Amino acid sequence: MAEFATAIRTNEVPVGGITAVDVNGRRIAVTNVGGNYYAFDDECTHEQCSLAEYGEMAGTTLTCTCHGSEFDVATGRVLAPPAQTPLTVYRTLVEGDALKIEV
Amino acid sequence: MPNAYVIVGASLAGATAAVTLRQEGADGTITLIGAEKKPPYERPPLSKAYLRGETPFENALVRPPAFYAEEGIETIFGCRALRIDASGRVVELDDGRRVPFDRLLIATGGRNRRFSVAGADLDGIYSLRTVQDADRIRMETTAGRRVVVVGMGFIGSEVAASLRQKDLDVVAIEPSKTPLARVLGEDVGQCLADLHRAHGVRTVFEDTVVAFEGTSRVERVLTKGGRRLDCDFVVVGIGIDPVVDVLDGSGIHVDNGVLVDEYCQTNVSGIYAAGDVANHYHPLFKRRIRVEHWQNAIKQGTAAARNMLGRHVAYDEVHWFWSDQYDANLQYAGFHSAWEQLVVRGRLGSDGFLACYVNEGRIDAAVALNRAKDLRRVMPLIKARRPVDLDQLRDESVDLRSLLASS
Repeated sequence: MAEFATAIRTNEVPVGGITAVDVNGRRIAVTNVGGNYYAFDDECTHEQCSLAEYGEMAGTTLTCTCHGSEFDVATGRVLAPPAQTPLTVYRTLVEGDALKIEV
Repeated sequence: MPNAYVIVGASLAGATAAVTLRQEGADGTITLIGAEKKPPYERPPLSKAYLRGETPFENALVRPPAFYAEEGIETIFGCRALRIDASGRVVELDDGRRVPFDRLLIATGGRNRRFSVAGADLDGIYSLRTVQDADRIRMETTAGRRVVVVGMGFIGSEVAASLRQKDLDVVAIEPSKTPLARVLGEDVGQCLADLHRAHGVRTVFEDTVVAFEGTSRVERVLTKGGRRLDCDFVVVGIGIDPVVDVLDGSGIHVDNGVLVDEYCQTNVSGIYAAGDVANHYHPLFKRRIRVEHWQNAIKQGTAAARNMLGRHVAYDEVHWFWSDQYDANLQYAGFHSAWEQLVVRGRLGSDGFLACYVNEGRIDAAVALNRAKDLRRVMPLIKARRPVDLDQLRDESVDLRSLLASS
């Protein structure tokens, strides 16, 4: 059963930045798009680059700069190859200054 | 309305164009013709993860094999186009078939240059272009065996890296002073030479192969400089030539590939070219460029399809490619031949840097080693074609994204 787990403080995720956290043994990346928080697997589905390290955000489009794959962080959909497999995304919930992620 | 779209070359460019034509409203037949029996696939893994046996061939397919029939794309694989009749609007195939077209895309790609020295026909000498080539090299890939890699361009460098990762004994020989010297310059090339040496490749620069020796299989490589390099097999990577023989007598202009304008169209109306074979006019760089990389195959294949559909959209992509070697990520963006200044962010070395090829204060191109984000951030500056503040470009405390606004 998936549940919301507190992952990080909202002020640790600056607008446009990507931060990776460990939640229940998974490495999950979190980004802040104009005050909306999105969470997704930190590993690119193409060749496993860390998205917190190599990802660049533009709106909700995430580019893995290793090889140029693009994903929509709201849905996980692949927007541009070489990745073929969608990114797993997680629901987020803000309570006070706590950012919770459903895993 | 045209109703027969034909694509010669089931390459990444050709297959991408077929998909785009279908997805963006082509209302007629689409026929994809390819010399290889396999459905279209991407080549980047062939020198890297696929060569090392880390990923199956299926992962390299452009689309699953059933896709084409499901989307109403007729495929003729394992069949070579022999001739294009540009005025009669027919492609002639090697099995005698004649395929009529209203709009035609040439995406025949390249073929490996032949290395014509004594002994070049001995067994155990390979080049790498197709999955079949990769499979042949994989059959030879056993830890401890000795391989000589001839040429340290991108393919030679990646093959040398992959075979070292499989614990082979690798000697790489290159006529220039460094790997990729002609493209990236010797300063950057030196960093790549260091990278390969650090991983145990024995590099030989400024020397060339004059003969291969052996009784039936290659046993040694002889160089102009008098070296005798004993080996179990050889991989030659000395570049490709565009495949243009199909155009002989067609009246379609050819010069280092098929000449096309910024709309991917040849001198013959309704006939287009994309991918490795296309020598295209680039509106940003105001000259013709022929690019042999993955991103261009996809982007230009897409652009050509859109123009075949009558959209009239100029292809002005900033060319970009990557080359993974060992755990290093090398990327390049833009286009340059000569440069006045090489402006470096970080320090040139095998750890990582961004180096920009600058002319008249403009960044024409950039190469990054383990600086993927910087490379991505410099691409808008390349596209802008305006002078930038070079001191800020060098200054690591300045966010590259802020330079666009101030340029």
